[in-house]
Amino acid sequence: MSIHLNSFVLADPKKCIGCKVCEVACAVAHRSEEIKTVGNMDIPVMPKLYLVKTADVTMPIQCRHCEDAPCANICPVFAITQIDNKIIINEESCIGCKTCMIACPFGAIELAPAFKDGKPVFQSLLTFDSEEELSSKQAAVASKCDLCNDRLNGPACIEACPRQALTYVNVKKEKQRRCTETASKTGANIKNLIV
Amino acid sequence: MVDKDTDIIKIDAELCTGCRRCAEVCPVDAIEGKQGTPQFINVEKCVMCGQCIQICSAYASIFEEYRTSREDKLRERNMPVTLEEPIFAAYNIGDLPKVKEALTNTEAFTMVQCAPAVRVAIAEEFGMPLGSLAPGKLAAALRQLGFNRIYDTNFAADLTIMEEGSELVQRITEGGLLPMFTSCCPAWVKFVEQEYPELIPHLSSCKSPQQMAGTMFKTYGAQADGVEPDNIYSVAIMPCTCKKFESQRPEMNTDGYQNVDAVLTTRELAYLIKEAGIDFSSLPEEDFDKPLGMYSGAGHLFCATGGVMEAAIRTAYELITNEPIPNVNIQYVRGSQGVRRGVVHAGDVKVKTVVVSGLKNVVPILEEIKKGNADFHFMEVMTCPVGCVSGGGQPKVLLPKDTEIAYKNRISSTYRHDEEQTYRKSHENPEIKAIYKNFLGEPLGHKSHHLLHTEYKQRGYCK
Ligand code: SF4
Ligand code: SF4
Repeated sequence: MSIHLNSFVLADPKKCIGCKVCEVACAVAHRSEEIKTVGNMDIPVMPKLYLVKTADVTMPIQCRHCEDAPCANICPVFAITQIDNKIIINEESCIGCKTCMIACPFGAIELAPAFKDGKPVFQSLLTFDSEEELSSKQAAVASKCDLCNDRLNGPACIEACPRQALTYVNVKKEKQRRCTETASKTGANIKNLIV
Repeated sequence: MVDKDTDIIKIDAELCTGCRRCAEVCPVDAIEGKQGTPQFINVEKCVMCGQCIQICSAYASIFEEYRTSREDKLRERNMPVTLEEPIFAAYNIGDLPKVKEALTNTEAFTMVQCAPAVRVAIAEEFGMPLGSLAPGKLAAALRQLGFNRIYDTNFAADLTIMEEGSELVQRITEGGLLPMFTSCCPAWVKFVEQEYPELIPHLSSCKSPQQMAGTMFKTYGAQADGVEPDNIYSVAIMPCTCKKFESQRPEMNTDGYQNVDAVLTTRELAYLIKEAGIDFSSLPEEDFDKPLGMYSGAGHLFCATGGVMEAAIRTAYELITNEPIPNVNIQYVRGSQGVRRGVVHAGDVKVKTVVVSGLKNVVPILEEIKKGNADFHFMEVMTCPVGCVSGGGQPKVLLPKDTEIAYKNRISSTYRHDEEQTYRKSHENPEIKAIYKNFLGEPLGHKSHHLLHTEYKQRGYCK
């Protein structure tokens, strides 16, 4: 049996300048209609990767598409599944319980307000009191990087980053690359040492 | 000395991540701050071109909490609170409240002008493809919004050519100061005033088309409609954030009347249209009003780099030779390179021209002039990357990869619109002929000088 490891997108904090272009590109890529200018964004920008800034590092954080995905394992309604080489959330069946959000060791899952065709999606029954009337409650669904599942050119964030800080990690190839690099760097030295 | 008026472009310190991409595009190094910390703008250096607004991608996220609410941020920026689009760290202070008030004030007679770059881009904000040409819908939208007269900056661009072309011919034939610089781009004018005050006399004394239109509204336009200049509220729709600054300059006042009372950017007009619930894409095609809304293809070209030059050549050639120009399409001034040099052979006269887009590209040429090495007659300068179509007030393209195609499409719409016009040369515009015959007299005459020309001044900030 050959093992196909899931790929994922990884940022290089040495290159990332924190401009958030990746977030914008991600949000745009996940709209059903093509959007080119800001005036057409009629719903909030809801990316599936999150730029994080700490005192020492700046980089976006996104789903690692874990092999034994804790989010998928714990989802009570089986909304998270492995499809092809990706861990995918089915937003239609998500009930917004946030279990996956807590289970994710990286904080790669967000609960995002639901929209359809630019309009908020409301829950069918649940209401809340606001200004002396009962209002419907907007649905919220789990949302995370899907490696731009429906996009021909692959992850939009990688393409958009003006600093080429993001790479698509193909785990097998990456491991090979590192092994070869180590061999050529240190191999010669070791050879000398032994002889 | 800091001018309060120059505080138009701002960076929201709560949203700015300090990536400094804005500092990379700023042509005058006015954006200061350390990498990774909020940036701030040195208002004395800033020429208000708004290129930082165009590039900034640090937006207010719904997943984060800010000290200032979205509503308050929108209010600070003078944007409608009902607006749905995301807001970014770099922004300009808008002028919608003033314009809305004028539109509801029954005493005010509102006249609006629309810059050429607006009609090749505004449709983008309503889901139409990048660079869609929409002059008719634009006129219809302005009419539905309740403006009393829908006039056009393109008319004034034709007027600018009459005055500026004559000024150039006069400087060449009568030995005036050369090279002469265009003065349509307010950011460029401010740059000369603060960084190269010794070169101020090279600037054409012409007001920009925006200001010429404003002056005409409160004189000729007032006469045409039988209204008192006092009651006229003059609004300009511009692709440019710096036009707000230009309109407030004390030099842009004629006989006690400020030429332009308020400037909206293309984006601000889109907000207004959305707020009014107008469905832009399905609007009928309507015309601009006469007399100050009629234009030639040449006037329309002002929005692309090389456009003022091309329009000027079409007219200057005929002024010098008294013959029609063999080919109205002057290809060598077009294009996107930062500097384009060329020569026009008009009979025995050789006019050497330089077209510059991107303010940074002009510095070596200005140094050349200071050393006395300039060998050309006329220079057009536009601060923004490919002229006004890429201005700071234009629809903001979401992703860097799309800017090139947006600019390309806006430019090709510009040339297409020129080709669609009955008149392609400013001096052939019948309303231009009429205004000189009935009102102004002749170019550079006493009246045109009083109304259409101005002076520039050295600014407090000097390097
Ligand atoms: S687009 Fe690139 S540089 Fe900008 S925040 Fe994202 S990873 Fe960092
Ligand atoms: S582009 Fe935006 S986020 Fe980046 S430094 Fe400039 S204002 Fe700040």
